[in-house]
Amino acid sequence: MNSARFSVALLFVFLAGCASDPAPHEQLRLSEVALAQARAVGAGEEQAELALAQGKYEQARAALAAGRHKEARLLAEQAELDAQLAEAQLLTQKSNKQVAELEQQVGALRQQLEAL
Amino acid sequence: MSGRHAFPFALLALALLGGCATTSPEARRALDEAQAELLAIRTEPAVRLSAAKDLERAEESLERAERFSSYLGSEEDVLHYAYLSRRYSQIAREHGAQRQAAERVAQLEKERERLQLALSEARLITAEQQGEWLEEQLLGQATTETERGLVMTLGDVLFDTGRAELRASATRTVLQVAKFLRLNQRRVVRIEGYTDSQGDAALNLELSRGRARSVRDMLVDLGVDGKRIQVAGYGEAHPVAENASNQGRARNRRVEIVFSDEEGTLGAER
Repeated sequence: MNSARFSVALLFVFLAGCASDPAPHEQLRLSEVALAQARAVGAGEEQAELALAQGKYEQARAALAAGRHKEARLLAEQAELDAQLAEAQLLTQKSNKQVAELEQQVGALRQQLEAL
Repeated sequence: MSGRHAFPFALLALALLGGCATTSPEARRALDEAQAELLAIRTEPAVRLSAAKDLERAEESLERAERFSSYLGSEEDVLHYAYLSRRYSQIAREHGAQRQAAERVAQLEKERERLQLALSEARLITAEQQGEWLEEQLLGQATTETERGLVMTLGDVLFDTGRAELRASATRTVLQVAKFLRLNQRRVVRIEGYTDSQGDAALNLELSRGRARSVRDMLVDLGVDGKRIQVAGYGEAHPVAENASNQGRARNRRVEIVFSDEEGTLGAER
């Protein structure tokens, strides 16, 4: 009998954990900052990761408004990293472009030098 | 009787707390993918140097996902933390790529600088080897002493009609000027463009400036400090011959390089 009571209590403790998620206001703010930063370096909606981030951010806000706190937190956390990835991808692209331009300039200079 | 009921409850509790066997194929795949992503980059030096924090978070998130996968009913969390882990790995990979690109940029910029130097040296040496250079020649033949100082005239033939870019044949002359300025570090110059009177006066003014700038740009390419070079365009003003004849107009289309004295004092602009 005691072990049955214990098991039931344990089950309640476990299930209760899911319901007591606090409202993830701070996480939504972080996601918003990440989105703004990605846009600031020039990321646009045509980038799949940014569009994904924006979509999840909006879903997270809707979930928060509906009181589904855990869902809101998970979506917002994913949106934050999606936006960070979009930003990082764009910065990599820019760096690679700079490398290509310099390689071209160096190649042109080499040719000029050989032509002398 | 109660003993019989207690058994299934205890089993249920156990199942909730442990049991890897409950991981769904989807969750397992997400875990495997996150792990593969992390393995692919965790030993890359550029990633370790530039994204240590993201790597650490990728590992933490993966461990968390693994922990959740041993609890029943936590599929959502497994997928979530596996997703976060993959994202951290991907971000770390980008940071690594950025670091490598930055290193390459620094390397290429140095190389470009070296090549530019080598090129201007090589051009000067080529000119010397061909015996083109004699300071007296420059001072004696191509220049005239005027009230404005020493003036060297670059003729119309150095440009295509209506164009501001120097022809390749101008290189020799400009090289001489560059060499002269290298030997006479205190001297400065003003490059002045002129045209004939045909065509629109405003366009002529712009063309004369453009041609003077072309000569300046080439001198700078050849290693002359841009601060030593002034540029002016006078268009149709100050002709040296009548504009009535072809010959006269050809003489009026010119670029003049006005040299300062040895102290660097340049006559006033016209």
